[in-house]
Amino acid sequence: MKIELNHITRIEGHAHLVVDRKQGEIKDCRLEIVESPRFFEAMLKGRHFSDVAPIVARVCGVCSISHTLASLMATEQALGVEPDAKARLLRRLLSFGEIMQSHLLQLYFMAVPDYLGISSIFQLLDSRRELVARALRLKRTANRICEVIGGRPIHPVTTTIGGFSVMPYVSDLKHLRQELVAALPDLEATVELFAGFDFPEFERETEYICLSDPGHYPLHANRFCSSSGLNAAVTDYKKEVEEYLTGYSTAKFARTARGSYMVGPLARFKNNFPRLSPMARKVASALTIDADTINPYHSLKARLVEVVNYVEESIHTIDELLLHGLNGTKPRAVPTGGGQGTAAVEAPRGLLFHSYTYDRNGLLDTADCVIPTAQNLANIETDLKAILPELLDRSDQELTRRLEMLIRSYDPCLSCSTHLLKIDLV
Amino acid sequence: MPLEPIFPEQNQNSLWRPVQPAEILRFVHSLLQAYEVVGAQRKRGRIILDQLQDAADLLLEFPPAVHSPKKFLFPNWDQLFRFKLDNNILLEAETTTPPRIIFGMHPCDLHAVKILDDCLFEGETDSAYRAKREATLLVGVDCTPDEYCFCTSLGTDRIAHGFDLFLHRRDGHYLIQSGSERGKQLLYNHAPEVVADAAEAPLPLQIKQCSTRLKFPAETLPALMENAYDDPVWKRLGKDCLGCGSCTLLCPSCYCFNVQDKLEVNLKEGQRIRTWDSCQFDQFAKVSDGENFRSSQSDRQRHRFYRKYKYLWDQHQRTACVGCGRCSRECLSHIEPTEVLNQMFADNLQPERPSAPGIEYQPQMAEIIARKKLSPEDLLFRLRLPEKFTFTPGSFIQISVFGLGEAPFSIASAPDGGREIDLVIRKAGALTQALHRARKGDMIGIRGPFGSGYSIDKMLGQDLLLVAGGRGLIALRSLLLSLLARRRDFGRITLLCAARSIDSMLFREDLLDWHRSGEMDCRFAVNEEENEWGIPSGDISYLFKDLEINSQRTIAAVSGPPGMYRHINPLLFRMGLHDENIYLNLERHMKCGLGKCGKCRINNVCVCECGPIFPYSSIKHLAEAIER
Amino acid sequence: MKKTRIGFFDFTGCEGCQLTVLNLEQDLLEILELVELVEFREVMSEQAGHLDIAFVEGSVCRQQDREQLKKIRQRTDILVALGACADNGGVNALGSDRGPELMCQQVYASHLPHLQTDPPQALSEVVPVDYRVPGCPIDGHEFLAVLQALLLKRQPDLPTFAVCVECKLAEYPCSFDHGEICLGPVTRAGCRAICIDGGDRCRGCRGLIENPRTSPYHRLLEEHGLTVDDILDQYRTFNIGEQKSES
Repeated sequence: MKIELNHITRIEGHAHLVVDRKQGEIKDCRLEIVESPRFFEAMLKGRHFSDVAPIVARVCGVCSISHTLASLMATEQALGVEPDAKARLLRRLLSFGEIMQSHLLQLYFMAVPDYLGISSIFQLLDSRRELVARALRLKRTANRICEVIGGRPIHPVTTTIGGFSVMPYVSDLKHLRQELVAALPDLEATVELFAGFDFPEFERETEYICLSDPGHYPLHANRFCSSSGLNAAVTDYKKEVEEYLTGYSTAKFARTARGSYMVGPLARFKNNFPRLSPMARKVASALTIDADTINPYHSLKARLVEVVNYVEESIHTIDELLLHGLNGTKPRAVPTGGGQGTAAVEAPRGLLFHSYTYDRNGLLDTADCVIPTAQNLANIETDLKAILPELLDRSDQELTRRLEMLIRSYDPCLSCSTHLLKIDLV
Repeated sequence: MPLEPIFPEQNQNSLWRPVQPAEILRFVHSLLQAYEVVGAQRKRGRIILDQLQDAADLLLEFPPAVHSPKKFLFPNWDQLFRFKLDNNILLEAETTTPPRIIFGMHPCDLHAVKILDDCLFEGETDSAYRAKREATLLVGVDCTPDEYCFCTSLGTDRIAHGFDLFLHRRDGHYLIQSGSERGKQLLYNHAPEVVADAAEAPLPLQIKQCSTRLKFPAETLPALMENAYDDPVWKRLGKDCLGCGSCTLLCPSCYCFNVQDKLEVNLKEGQRIRTWDSCQFDQFAKVSDGENFRSSQSDRQRHRFYRKYKYLWDQHQRTACVGCGRCSRECLSHIEPTEVLNQMFADNLQPERPSAPGIEYQPQMAEIIARKKLSPEDLLFRLRLPEKFTFTPGSFIQISVFGLGEAPFSIASAPDGGREIDLVIRKAGALTQALHRARKGDMIGIRGPFGSGYSIDKMLGQDLLLVAGGRGLIALRSLLLSLLARRRDFGRITLLCAARSIDSMLFREDLLDWHRSGEMDCRFAVNEEENEWGIPSGDISYLFKDLEINSQRTIAAVSGPPGMYRHINPLLFRMGLHDENIYLNLERHMKCGLGKCGKCRINNVCVCECGPIFPYSSIKHLAEAIER
Repeated sequence: MKKTRIGFFDFTGCEGCQLTVLNLEQDLLEILELVELVEFREVMSEQAGHLDIAFVEGSVCRQQDREQLKKIRQRTDILVALGACADNGGVNALGSDRGPELMCQQVYASHLPHLQTDPPQALSEVVPVDYRVPGCPIDGHEFLAVLQALLLKRQPDLPTFAVCVECKLAEYPCSFDHGEICLGPVTRAGCRAICIDGGDRCRGCRGLIENPRTSPYHRLLEEHGLTVDDILDQYRTFNIGEQKSES
């Protein structure tokens, strides 16, 4: 008998879950991504380089900043523009803000209801109003970082080729720092909340891929690595990663030579455990998670660890920026000639690649983006197929609930993954 | 209403004191402890007007800021009152504005505040505006106009009243003047060292030079607009205007507004606020059934110009535009009021002469091609006339400033068959003050020539004795230049010239030239005791001492103030000159120049027709001719 | 008194507009005192029957979307287009002029029918839409104002003047002074000129005002070196097209 869960709730984007079981056997289990494809690659062709990042930001509302930065960096590489140290710091801070708000949204609004046995966080408005208020407060602080640096959290306006068109005010950065420090009690309460949840026991080892940046928890870098020994330049991603289409999904899937793999918080956490900030490591031990975990449900714990990690890193980055001084806006360099550029960032959900070629007039010729969620889709399906046998005896309702929780632990962003389509005739 | 004089009367109670920039900085620093201080600051390459956080950010020398002080005196998003929507509606009154100082208002901005006062205090006084006016102190500062300012055309480049303090610029420092008791108190309390010694009488205020200006006197504007409602210039504006509203939003004297209610998110309480609106928006004049009473952009732009240059002028007898140039500085379509108005002026004053009734009173337009200062109060204008101009020396013409009227002036140059004449204009009343603001290239109205001048034919082969008292030299110069042009046709020429002082003597260069030329005899006298020319001190009669003339062949031409003739005529008679050989310049109040209005009569003789140059023989019987 | 029942729905878009609503933070809590949130797939699992107000984000690209939208229209009293994609196609429509390429894609897609889409449509091309909240993304305050007006049974008032007004009120440097082309003079205000504040130019994401002054505006663009094709291209980024009316 078939279980069809249309328009899975509490994820970003639209997907159907289809489980076909018959007398104790799984005949079929698949995740149908039904989000409509949008052909961004076709849309970008012929656009001027100054328009590319703002258009590409519109691929996704939650991770528009990651797309913007990856796009700018790829364009900068193609056209030969080098952002200065101040711009790089500001971009890091902006990314911290975005990842924090994305994680907090996912943790509190999408995941928490599952672990409290309710269907949405708004059901707690009467009984546990403080919890909802806390979620909104934390999200507010994260969004504030994006506002101060980027102008607004969704589709930033200050980001530009070479850096930023407007510098943030020193007073705003100082207030932000105070807000971040003031958020620590709320974070403690969040950790206590999650430490008390029962996470399902399920383990399956896979390949964990993320950027690699010596000395730093990775964010913006030009090399990527994996738990299976992969170590390559971002510009060579096509040699390591293959994207392919299925007959039922509007999103592409991805694999390495070794099969499906995982990107995202858990991959970053596992590959970079020694580079976590001191506070983040405390949180990891409070949540009883370490670098050896292979339980995909632990992505949620990794997300919370990352939130605290980025709070601490944001404070240090603000201090560094204030020492640097923020005087003067960068003059807008107008690069000439064309070129090819590839860049990668760690978006909230994992490794994001953007690759462009420009013609001599600075107009975009080809574009390619590899989305974190698209890279995870094969892994999600493999996990679903692996976990199903243990759930066969459960009720339909319980079964779907557990599968949904698994899907949600990946925090898929389906608007992103269906952004563009390149169809190869087979 | 006359515009601001160049030398405002010294306010008897004004404090004046030089201040150094460092003292101003300390003053502002002290003010910041007690007041909200608003001033011009640089932000992202713009000069903005905003609350000051640090005294060091304040600019004292700047072209007009983007916004005018209207931003604070009549702000956008101004709460009129709060209300609560419980079972009973509770109205809470607006609390008072915090005490504030706007530090750095240019004269144009201060004029704009006067306009806002006129408009908003009229009828039912706008209490919200008044509260802000009372809570706000105004500190003026002098400025340098940029290429968009045209304050000099409107007389708004200087101001004598309406501020609490004013900073006049000098070399490297300032002169601070108090304009009110509040201003004085501010100095006592926050800059005690500045008040320590009072300064001497102030030097004249800075006079501005604006490159952009109206090419005609601003007082003409209401009259001009009266006839320009259907001028083609409005259609052109309508095509160019983007309707963005920047002009009215930034104009310091625009105040049209909308009133709306804003509720809080909880829907339980809210405020009624007023926000800036603009007659340039297409929805401004629309009513609920869809009718739009000003539906084209041409209509909307025309309305703005009429508000500034006609309606408000008719109401308050002063310009509602202060020439700050904010509208043109920010306009993406490059619409500039001076261009529009100059074009309108040119459109409406064609030199065509229809044979309509009243034509003989209609002036032609002449261009000022040169302008030179002759004395502290006199300017020499050279005019180029539309056609060749013939006249006799001693004639006069009527000069028109539309809106102010006409006045007669003697022609100071000799007739040479060309199109150019010289005039001397002394600053006396409203019309001559307006003329003094005119510049090269401006057009003024001219009518004439009128009057009967010197008969040169009668002077051929004779000696000439020219007696010039003060400004009487003007008419005599016309005669003298004619004589010198054909020097050999005349005998000896003697010029007796007297004035109050060297400074008040007109045509000093010409006098020196004539004196040195050897072609004539010049004698000078001034009233003042010691003078740089070393000429004798005395009046005109002194110059007759030891004067040798041949009374049988001398013709005298006397020109000076009315009182002079009483003293000079007997001297001439004693020298043996005949009545018909003495020419007097008798000026009266000439108005029509056509012998009709009656204002210039001496007994039964009309000066504008038969004079002003009269041989004594023809007027000696007139009792009113010479002052007894 | 029964609380107004509101819900959020989305089709093809980035979900940034719904996220903006969630980003209202404390104001969101206050709103939830006044309304009952009965459906919001991104953050709730509940589903509702009848609604008073449905906010719908995203464009419509496929037959199943059209049918879904019609069903939503049937079960709600008021339907509000949330954001540029819902209002006029927004950035989704950017590729719709690429005739040959898109057709080429569609030719290939015939082998993979599930990949076939139609040109993206605004909601109003499929069902009657009552009101809109424009922008990409929407402005949170504007959303609150529209919601408030609907709760008070009033007509929501969007500004009818251009972004230039907000720039001038805030004293921002004008993009044209830096040699940048800005769509501010013809774009609807209400965003507080946030892009110009951020040093970027206006790309017209909120759509044209009712009576844009296209003639003098195009002349201005030509002064800055744009050809007619360039000018039309500027309007294409957010699909705001050209309106015929002009005063």
